[in-house]
Amino acid sequence: MQQLVNGLTIGSMFALIALGYTMVYGVMKLINFAHGDLVAGSSFVGLFVFSQMLGGEVSLFVVLGVFAFTIVAIALLGFTIERLAYRPLRTAPRLSAVVSALGASMVIQNGIMLLWGPQMHIFPELIPTIIWEVGGVVVSLMQVLIMVLSMILMVGLYLFVEKTKIGTAIRASAIDQDAARLMGINVNNIIVTIFLIGSSLGAVGGLFIGLYYRGITFNMGWQYGLYAFVAAIIGGIGNIPGAMLGGLLLGLFNAFIAGYISSTWADAFTFILLIVILIVRPTGILGERVAEKV
Amino acid sequence: MMKKIQHIAYPLFFIVMALLPALLDSRWLVVATTFVIFTIVALSQDIVLGKAGMFNMGQALFFGLGAYTTAVLNAKFGWPILATLPVAILIPAFFGILLAGPIIHLRGDYLLVATIGFNIVFVQAVQNNLGGITGGPNGIFGLDMLSFPGLASFEHFMPYYAALAALFFTLFVINNLESSMMGRALHYLREDDLAAGSIGINTRVHKIFAFAMGAGIAGMAGTMYANQYSAVSPEAFDFIQSVLFFSIVIVGGSSVPGILLGVFVMFVLPEIFREFATWRYFIFGFAMIFTMILRPRGIWPAKFGRIPKAFTEKGRENGQQ
Repeated sequence: MQQLVNGLTIGSMFALIALGYTMVYGVMKLINFAHGDLVAGSSFVGLFVFSQMLGGEVSLFVVLGVFAFTIVAIALLGFTIERLAYRPLRTAPRLSAVVSALGASMVIQNGIMLLWGPQMHIFPELIPTIIWEVGGVVVSLMQVLIMVLSMILMVGLYLFVEKTKIGTAIRASAIDQDAARLMGINVNNIIVTIFLIGSSLGAVGGLFIGLYYRGITFNMGWQYGLYAFVAAIIGGIGNIPGAMLGGLLLGLFNAFIAGYISSTWADAFTFILLIVILIVRPTGILGERVAEKV
Repeated sequence: MMKKIQHIAYPLFFIVMALLPALLDSRWLVVATTFVIFTIVALSQDIVLGKAGMFNMGQALFFGLGAYTTAVLNAKFGWPILATLPVAILIPAFFGILLAGPIIHLRGDYLLVATIGFNIVFVQAVQNNLGGITGGPNGIFGLDMLSFPGLASFEHFMPYYAALAALFFTLFVINNLESSMMGRALHYLREDDLAAGSIGINTRVHKIFAFAMGAGIAGMAGTMYANQYSAVSPEAFDFIQSVLFFSIVIVGGSSVPGILLGVFVMFVLPEIFREFATWRYFIFGFAMIFTMILRPRGIWPAKFGRIPKAFTEKGRENGQQ
């Protein structure tokens, strides 16, 4: 049971980050390697905003301020990456875009290192440690907040994509960019929109990672990014409910492996699971079978 | 024209490389050896990624497998380094077939993620001291030196010349591959595997063959690596290394000169400009983005495989796509 709570908590974080990957992949057919590093950047920006700009005293107002500033900063960074590294390569060969994404990832990751140094930083304790014990299971206020907030954001995103006009345009661009363009949809604006939304959700995920794990390092983006990407694939890449489901399943899987088998083998088991899923059902759990032409 | 340049450039390159140790002190000799070894790995990556067009981001796995094969056989079973070489080629090649078999039908990004997965599983298995022979996070050290009878005084230069010989062998293999039916089939596969299949190329067999060949050559480079450092450790074969090899091939344009340039920039320049060491990847990241924007096909794009004159009409030299 304890592992269930832990698994759902980290699963919600994976799901938030996975949404950024899956939306970008859905529309652009590109693995946004820089997304994980945006998530890592978000932890560092949050740390900076808290300790340098808002004085380092915990209060409700300050916590909201940290979230607001960080989300805006990371969304702008995501927007910049799209403009500089991805937009010029819209029509280039697929591999060029992949390498450009890797380049963007290296720039952000090492940018963080140059600004904050290679050592581990400790994220401030923004949420008071309140712990409940329910039937032998320990649940903290932070875990509840992470799960509830993630759920609200994910449901909000789902409704946004399914019910609004912009959401319809996003889905149309994901199905066929050229046809969407013929229907009068400005696909470039749609891509900017998904980068802004994806980066904002990633920023929230990054702050949660800082709050939950406390220790943050400049190169953690690769690790959480890969996990989130695996979650997106498990759920069916390009599929928004799929990313949520995949994130939660991966979180549970990870917690149970770490709890019952061995935490030093957690990565290996996760990727074996990924490879098995790719072999058995490459489109993921909720993905539709689409004929892909490379 | 291109052919003539190649006829002069290749011997010239090897003469320069063969004389190089005379000019270098021991620190630079290590850098030069590393350059040669990483060039071999990048070339092996090019067989899979550049020639056959499969998005493989796990080449460091095969490189590591070769290095670990040599290290384990030498340190635990007392085999001489040279005797481990064939095994260090065959085991990665075998694993190349074994791992590529079930995932080879995956396209593009899915294959890329699966190969990243294999790489991560490998590194974690080695770190956890699988089977009690890989030495855990510290790796294996204290390997023997490669030596030939009568060349004992020459031992200092041995890792370099062994690596150079391996590079020569690799280029020989790639050169032959380019002008063989196999190589042309791979080029065709990269352009369009459906069309390749429809004219009778067994796409599955050819893809697995390319994987196994790349893996074997990377394994050979692994032996050279273990020999140079007399040690192996897990982080040298992390998937970040695979990312670097992947980027070198694409940025270089999947041609031999492009790859040489890429390896030089990625691994030798940082040694020359030591004071910028921390800025290294920051600058490389920008360089990768700008190269791709300005030259999406790489700095020195490869021409479509060398087609024998008899097959081309009116002596068109390079049937570029």
